[in-house]
Amino acid sequence: MADERVEVVLRVNGRDHRLEVSPRWTLSDVLRHQVGLTGTHVGCEQGVCGACTVLLDGEPVRSCLIFGVQAEGHNVTTVEGITPESGLSPLQEAFRKHHALQCGYCTPGMLLTAQALLDREPNPSEETIREALTGNLCRCTGYQFIVDAVMAARGQGRGA
Amino acid sequence: MAEVLRPQMMGARVSRVEDPRLLSGQARFLDDIQVPGMLEVAFVRSPHAAAKIVAIDADAARRLPGVYAVITHQECPIVLWNQESYKVGQPALADGDVAYVGQPVVAVIAENRYIAEDAAELVRVEYQTLTPVWDMRDAIHEKPRRVHEQAENVFFQKSRQTPGFDEAFAAAPHHLKASFRTNRQTAVTMEPRGTAAMLDAASGRLTVYASTQSPHRMREDICTLLDIPEHLVRVIVPEVGGGFGMKATCYPEDVVVAHAAVKYRKPVKWISDRLESLESDVHARDDIHDVEVAFDDDGKIIAIKDHLMADGGAYPAYPWSGAEGETGLAARVLTGPYDIPYLATEIDCTYSNKTPLGAYRGVWGPIASFIQEGLVDRVARHLKLDPADVRRRNMIRKEQFPYRNAARMIYDEGSYLESMEEALKLIGYEDFRHRQAQLRQQGRYVGVGISVFVEPTAMASSEAGEVGYESCTIRIEPSGRVTAALGLGPSGQGHETTMAQILSDQLGVPLEDIVVLHGDTDSAPYGGGTGGSRSGPIGGGAALVAGRQMREKLIKYAAHLLEASEDDIELGDGKAWVTGVPDRSLTIRTIAQTAYLDVSKIPEGMPIGLEVTGRYLPKRPVTFSNGTHIAEVEVDVHTGVVKVTRYAVANDCGRVINPTIVEGQIHGGVAQGIGAAVLEALRYDEDGQLVTTSLLDYLLPESTDVPRIQVQHIETPSDGEGGIKGMAEGSLIAAPAAVACAISDALAPFGGMVDTLPVTPEMVLKMVQNS
Repeated sequence: MADERVEVVLRVNGRDHRLEVSPRWTLSDVLRHQVGLTGTHVGCEQGVCGACTVLLDGEPVRSCLIFGVQAEGHNVTTVEGITPESGLSPLQEAFRKHHALQCGYCTPGMLLTAQALLDREPNPSEETIREALTGNLCRCTGYQFIVDAVMAARGQGRGA
Repeated sequence: MAEVLRPQMMGARVSRVEDPRLLSGQARFLDDIQVPGMLEVAFVRSPHAAAKIVAIDADAARRLPGVYAVITHQECPIVLWNQESYKVGQPALADGDVAYVGQPVVAVIAENRYIAEDAAELVRVEYQTLTPVWDMRDAIHEKPRRVHEQAENVFFQKSRQTPGFDEAFAAAPHHLKASFRTNRQTAVTMEPRGTAAMLDAASGRLTVYASTQSPHRMREDICTLLDIPEHLVRVIVPEVGGGFGMKATCYPEDVVVAHAAVKYRKPVKWISDRLESLESDVHARDDIHDVEVAFDDDGKIIAIKDHLMADGGAYPAYPWSGAEGETGLAARVLTGPYDIPYLATEIDCTYSNKTPLGAYRGVWGPIASFIQEGLVDRVARHLKLDPADVRRRNMIRKEQFPYRNAARMIYDEGSYLESMEEALKLIGYEDFRHRQAQLRQQGRYVGVGISVFVEPTAMASSEAGEVGYESCTIRIEPSGRVTAALGLGPSGQGHETTMAQILSDQLGVPLEDIVVLHGDTDSAPYGGGTGGSRSGPIGGGAALVAGRQMREKLIKYAAHLLEASEDDIELGDGKAWVTGVPDRSLTIRTIAQTAYLDVSKIPEGMPIGLEVTGRYLPKRPVTFSNGTHIAEVEVDVHTGVVKVTRYAVANDCGRVINPTIVEGQIHGGVAQGIGAAVLEALRYDEDGQLVTTSLLDYLLPESTDVPRIQVQHIETPSDGEGGIKGMAEGSLIAAPAAVACAISDALAPFGGMVDTLPVTPEMVLKMVQNS
């Protein structure tokens, strides 16, 4: 049962990866351990904390709640995928400027949720931003500086 | 003396050097450590609160392909914390019985976590269950039984009384009684705990990657428990995704992983899942206080009597019992910022069949503040006085510093009254009372809660350990760039930035030319680590001391090479020059090259190279930060839901190294405090089962639960190095009380007062209905 493997092709951050995976491996585990993209963090494996958030065809999903094989045929975007080749994206820069991170563990998921919001709605209100971030828990910042950072990144696009 | 340099990095809003790697997904946390052949561990944990282990059958698990080993106490006979005082210590893997749900019983080591989990399910453990001990008051009276046959349930007892207490208490015109309860909570770091260990093939040394706050303490614990000499163990702390005191403990899993790496000569890793976190990370705040307060007609509090009780769980956490820590310090700082002359405390800490109690940010403080501010509000309500006025009447005044409180703690200077007046202004207190009255007429219930706090920081001992000093090594490389190392264990506080700010001022080199290393016992000088709000004042103090020593060396070099007097040398922008003659200058790089590569030019009597280690042990055993939090809440009396709507903080942590970082810490502590006040509780049922085992049951504050927080800084420098005081815990010390007092204020028309945290909707409805 346990370790049957199947071949999948996953498109992650614009590159195709041919992988041998077990059907029960979660997308977060496949991204972290097979593709080697450890920027995606696992916080609860219960779909609550949002730390493992990635984008699937531009929509935020919990990568701990879907299997790696389910992502075949979709575009997966991780924090590495929204990071420009050099430097930081406007949203990442705003996070730095506004001290929107402390330990940084929730940060990749937070960035992807916020980026998806800004992609969809370039000028969200503070209330909309807070609402959009409710699915991403942060234990360090009290959210205020995260909200400030997202507000500051409004209308700047993804950069790069 | 530290000379003032331009521009000052200390006090500046510098963006953190840590951020780019964290923002781009390049940072390396514990689970990102992966080496070829690494095995992973899954633990079989106790499903019972109390039981004898009759038999363990692991044959099926051992036979599963991919399983490397299955170990029990027999193969790993290590016991944590077997000190006389506690009479019991937790075996790393259960030895014959289990005493709490989630206690590690068997470790399954396999090729990967999936297989390890499969095999763990195949392990059969036969238990004979016992009656669980889960009620604190019963447990103190040895009911229904002893948790450990060889030890009384009460493992820590202490009484203390100010001389003259009885007479003063009896003579007071007014007395009130109240019982305060704080329910179990836990830190819930977003990164769960984890450990990886491996032998270095070449040297045979053991490397332990640990998600911990105190690298050297962890090394000492591993060495002691595994009986390996210190020079053969290296502890590396990678990026740590939150600690909050919870990661100051050495856990059974850490020991099992290190033991397995040595025993099997294989790299071994264990990462906690969230269920394991909630049941096996140290819990905190399981306290009951039976309190009486005596006061006069004006609301001046004369005496407080408190029976402090804490449920320490099944074993003392290693190497620091949270129950003892919470009650011991609460009993000494219970009077907070108030000049209350008489105090009598009696402490009882008991074992139970629950998870061990350890540290969580603020430790004693969130409980003591809840009581202290709750009492002041009760006095105010009893006498029909304004709560702010009662606080004014009782506050320790400027001229009383250094102030010795009723438990003989010495407070250094602070801004107690000033902080309250500032916070009252920020929240608009005068106007609020008017608004409150108007809203009440519309059937809306809003309230404000004032929480004036003191925060003992930089203490000689804390959950981080007993090392009262910190050390900083500075090496200026031949290029003139600076490598500094400290024994701190940051978990988001930004020490790489704040320590570099301090060093930049001292050495006159730009921030980007400094790298601060930490969390590796091979590079860092011996130190206490991070905990008890010590890293800023003590770590920062060490950086100042070492920085000054290096600065003196640079000045000697510059004076020698520029043929000037040492008194005339200035440092800045990566250069040294002669005062008033900026052309007579050389770069720090030139000095460094001389020190390493052109050694014939080294000033006489100076050693080759540029390296110093400075240590700092504060003269005072503690320095007190202070401040005031004011929360405004609206309580829906139909649903019982509490919404924190506005929040103001006046904070005084002495000289601020980086205001933005301080504000971030305050915001985070307030959020945790809101969680503590209205959301977070670890609940056990009568069978001793933990029933809050996911983040859907144990609720953390979300972005919509935390209002905008206004912060104002006040600076009353300490008399220690740099005037720095610690500040990481004050916000969580103050916030639960602020919110609790605000709820009491909102519900004043119904008569009740909050006496239990967290305040659930059910409790609110009860308060409304009971009126």
